[in-house]
Amino acid sequence: MIQYIARRLVQILGIMVLLSIVLFALVNIAPGGPLAGQGQSRHIPPERAAALKRQFGLDKPLPVQYVVWLVGNDWMRVDADGDGTADSYGTRRGILRGDFGFSFQTRQPVLDEIRLRLPNTLYLMGITLLVALGIAIPAGIISAVKQYSKIDITITTLAFAGQAVPEFWLGLLLILVFYVWLQNPFTGEPLLPSGGMSSLDTFSLWDRTRHLILPVMCGALGWIAWYSRFLRSSMLDVLHMDYLRTARAKGLPERFILYKHALRNAIIPLVTMFALDLPTIFAGAVFVEILFSWPGMGRLYYQAATQRDYPVLLAVLIIGAGLILLSNLLADILYATIDPRIRYE
Amino acid sequence: MSINLNKLFGAITFLVVLSIILTGCAPAQGIQDEQRSITITIPEDPPSFNAIIGDTGYDALVSNMVLLGLTGIDPDSNIYPELAAELPSQENGGVVVDENAGTMDVTWKIRQDVKWSDGTPVTAEDVVFTWNAIMDPEKGIWVRGSDYVDNVEKIDEHTVVFHYNSLYTGYLTQLGGEQLVVWPAHYCDPEQGFSQWDCGREPLSSGPFVLKEWQVGDHMTFEKNPNYFEAGKPGVDEIVIKIVPEDSVRKEMLLKGDTDLIMWVSETIARELDGQPNISVSVSPTNRWVLRVYMNEAARGTTDPVSSPNPFFADVRVRQAVRQAIDVDTIAESVFYGYSKPAWTEFAREPYKCDVPRPKYDPEAAKALLEEAGWKDTDGDGVRECHGCANAKEGDLLEFELATYPDYGEPILLAHQLIGEQLTKIGMRPKLVVIEGTVMWAEAEDGGTEQSGNYDMDLWDDGYSGVDPTDYLDEIYNSNAAVPGSGWNIVRWISPEMDQLLAEARTLDENKREEVFCQMAQLLDEQAVVPLLFTIINADAYSSRLEGIQSNGNDVVTWNAADWTVK
Amino acid sequence: MQPSTLESATNNNLEDQGVWRRFKRHPGAITGFIILLIITVASILAPLSPYPPNESNIPERYQPPSLQHPMGTDALGRDLLTRVLYGGRISLSVGLLVVAISMVLGIIVGSLAGYFGGRVDNILMRITDAALSLPAFLVLILLSAMMREVDLPFYETNNVLSIALVIGLLSWMTTARLVRAIFLTQREMDYVLAAQALGASGYRITMHHVLPNGIGPIIVEATLELGYAIITESGLSFLGFGIQPPTASWGNLLSDAQGHFTQYPWLAIFPGMMIFFTIISVNYIGDGLRDAYDPYHVLKKVGEV
Repeated sequence: MIQYIARRLVQILGIMVLLSIVLFALVNIAPGGPLAGQGQSRHIPPERAAALKRQFGLDKPLPVQYVVWLVGNDWMRVDADGDGTADSYGTRRGILRGDFGFSFQTRQPVLDEIRLRLPNTLYLMGITLLVALGIAIPAGIISAVKQYSKIDITITTLAFAGQAVPEFWLGLLLILVFYVWLQNPFTGEPLLPSGGMSSLDTFSLWDRTRHLILPVMCGALGWIAWYSRFLRSSMLDVLHMDYLRTARAKGLPERFILYKHALRNAIIPLVTMFALDLPTIFAGAVFVEILFSWPGMGRLYYQAATQRDYPVLLAVLIIGAGLILLSNLLADILYATIDPRIRYE
Repeated sequence: MSINLNKLFGAITFLVVLSIILTGCAPAQGIQDEQRSITITIPEDPPSFNAIIGDTGYDALVSNMVLLGLTGIDPDSNIYPELAAELPSQENGGVVVDENAGTMDVTWKIRQDVKWSDGTPVTAEDVVFTWNAIMDPEKGIWVRGSDYVDNVEKIDEHTVVFHYNSLYTGYLTQLGGEQLVVWPAHYCDPEQGFSQWDCGREPLSSGPFVLKEWQVGDHMTFEKNPNYFEAGKPGVDEIVIKIVPEDSVRKEMLLKGDTDLIMWVSETIARELDGQPNISVSVSPTNRWVLRVYMNEAARGTTDPVSSPNPFFADVRVRQAVRQAIDVDTIAESVFYGYSKPAWTEFAREPYKCDVPRPKYDPEAAKALLEEAGWKDTDGDGVRECHGCANAKEGDLLEFELATYPDYGEPILLAHQLIGEQLTKIGMRPKLVVIEGTVMWAEAEDGGTEQSGNYDMDLWDDGYSGVDPTDYLDEIYNSNAAVPGSGWNIVRWISPEMDQLLAEARTLDENKREEVFCQMAQLLDEQAVVPLLFTIINADAYSSRLEGIQSNGNDVVTWNAADWTVK
Repeated sequence: MQPSTLESATNNNLEDQGVWRRFKRHPGAITGFIILLIITVASILAPLSPYPPNESNIPERYQPPSLQHPMGTDALGRDLLTRVLYGGRISLSVGLLVVAISMVLGIIVGSLAGYFGGRVDNILMRITDAALSLPAFLVLILLSAMMREVDLPFYETNNVLSIALVIGLLSWMTTARLVRAIFLTQREMDYVLAAQALGASGYRITMHHVLPNGIGPIIVEATLELGYAIITESGLSFLGFGIQPPTASWGNLLSDAQGHFTQYPWLAIFPGMMIFFTIISVNYIGDGLRDAYDPYHVLKKVGEV
């Protein structure tokens, strides 16, 4: 097993190297650049553009920029003041030493930008996933156990419907209904807040919960639909297995069979699926964060994309890819630990 | 066994719910009621407090609240002194011109009563420090006038002289206006550099407010500056800025009272809010941005209009035809609800108002111009072909791409579609294309469509702030600005006459300047170089709790935040 | 020419009849099929509408739904129903193109990996893993900025092909793994060994024997991808990255509605409903197909990622 993990880690490293080149090329080749159009001036005076390019390190050929991004430029001389001679050392240390550069837009270190937003995304997505699982698992179990009953059909139909609703549309509708139309009968204020994580200057669980309701509803629907159907199908497989027939023949109570045997086996594929879905927590839900003014990673990426803020884009992409690869490995390990039939050499 | 478990679960749930209710029911601290606190909502964080670096407008919003420049510009395009005690001019001896050498010196006297929020007085030292930081070749930034200032000299604690090496007409906003302010010499770190010093994110205040907290992506809180030099101001104790990306959500928040001011409302939202009780919309009297039609005079993909002229737009008659085919009034009134005013010349603002006749909307005349230019529709398909036209091959269709950018939002996209229809009516075939601003205006190497000449006809808004258009005109109409990477004469209009006039405009003789500008106005009008269409609204919406709000097309709405009061 | 014994042994005709029969018994799938058919036909017939999809009609801006305009009008006075139907052409085309592209790519990669095994398999699977590890939506945002237009005949200016290419480039991986898995199970079967002994080429074995036997999960996967493609295109267009106005697509109709959905809700409700009904139909069809091809869920274990 250890050997397997070691081998996989090496493979992951290889893929990361490949990805770093692909992503770097992708980000830079996209037409448009960070110097254009974000500002009110619509167009930048050429003198300013030249200085900005130097400050951003964009005046070097792409392969050099790639190397600088990886390992920094504090070991080589650069022309920092535009006088044509490379007479000072660079200031960047490269991602391999933990320096992801600074945002073109805010001039703040990229890791700081991420650090300020990641907790908010983890908070939102974490709760969304918990709520989603909390509803999906019981729904899936009931659906499977009472297959073809009215309850099953209702749950399944709702699940299909839930998967078909586009998240961004749902968000608009939720805002329309719960903020614009509905009012709190006591205070006359909107029933639920329009967005943000909390009201200012009040720290209460209730306030936080109110602010979570709509974004979580919006983000969780798709998960609930998907996981409940997945679990249902998983449970159905297991429920028809021979060893359960044996258990029933032995006279064991149905509930016991359900929890001890069926669920535990049905959960296995769900757990691995979940592990594979975990990395989405990092990049956040772009739509939910935009519509509900949530200060998270998704919005950071979206803004960086429109402004061609290369360092931020690259950092989010490469970290996201790394997390996905690691979570794949994690899922495989989990699968092997839980299911004794699986062996890796 | 199981019964007890259930009871246990039930009890725990009850306790949790109870505690939530109890904590939730704690009365909110009601700061909004005790203090005079207002909320402003904007769609994204300002990148910093340094408005010239970020250039997003939201940085100017917060910068106005916290920092002062030597001067400011009011909504009627008058320049007024902020940190300066008075405006220097030739009359009061503030501006001294050496005619023989062609140089000038501008002396600024700084107010003696302004302090930084840590008690230190604002002095000439800060002005010199700021200018030197801006001019630093490594970490500074180019600003208009940079090329003309030799150095800045401190005369005494409250007097500074800018030594110019040639006549520069924009001296009044050299360290003022919307984006430039004076930074504290004792607080900002020159090592970090003007472009990214920490004091640009955690500023020391000389203005009416002080930054209290900034939760990135969520909100910023400002408190009134007790050391602010104007007594009795500001009339607001606290300003909270909330970040809300969705336009309609911000609008709803204003309607529900969850915010007091939304910055930069579009025409549609202005219209929607204008009639509402308790809500007002302030519209700026000056409109900085004017929507225009850019027609490439060089063939698509090239940048030299002489060797490879554009098959359609190198001919002035075609350009004039385009101008006459666009029904500006209908668009301005219907799509923009009359908030937009027709515009047809760069020189419509005092004191350089030139009398250029407004081009008439006349599709028949436009068609006649096209016929005369050799574009006729002989096969009856509704699209003209070249029959004896100047720069295209016989039989080529009059079809091209009409591009605009999506970032402003719906109004410009709608105008884009309407203009496409109107051009189709006179026998052209414009293909409507939407290109991100960051692609349209990028450098040629980055695939910028305009710098590389890879466009036919573009539609977007531009303009200048303040009174003096000299620098702006130079960037857009000078022949040497047509070289990719050297400027923004993207229509590649080469005119020695214009170049001559641009040089002559750099004089301090106001009469001469006005004369020169009006000659330019005539020339631009005859040549239909970049036909202007109509102004784009510059407005802000606010709740009637607030008083003193005035939209400013030359700055942003917080230009007079010190004068605001809460009812 | 008489089919050889080998081929008749793998003849799927009888099975096909069973598949259709079982599909017909699935009420959700049939309903979904009908709804999808209606939407598709209506979209194809969009040009029959008395209203032009892109021409403005200023006096009739922002009309709520009425008899003349069953879905109301938009910011330029254009009939929303017409635009929604035209949008359907775009969105459905993108969906179908994405399925085509990702199926072709996925089948090629999966077949090569599954048939040759060994080194080839290893390399191809590592490439697949690498592609799978990209945060798909984030990369799509970037990729769609890159693609400029490619003109399709019979459409106006649009980037249907570019968007489909971009989405397809990031969705072939699941099909590839599926096809590979099918190969892995079928590879050792007698009929394949026999075909190889008879000298049949790899291509022939793949196309005539292996794939037809695994067609079930592949088709199910294709329907799921159709749903995914339509939602993804809508999402991208909603953010401003996909199909650009004035060409209508369901996603950019929603994006247009964003600014006024509180004042004119119908602008947002109807395009969203179209997406909803299309996706739910496609998903039900996929479910029905899955039950029809694989009533005992045997193949699922093989194909499951």
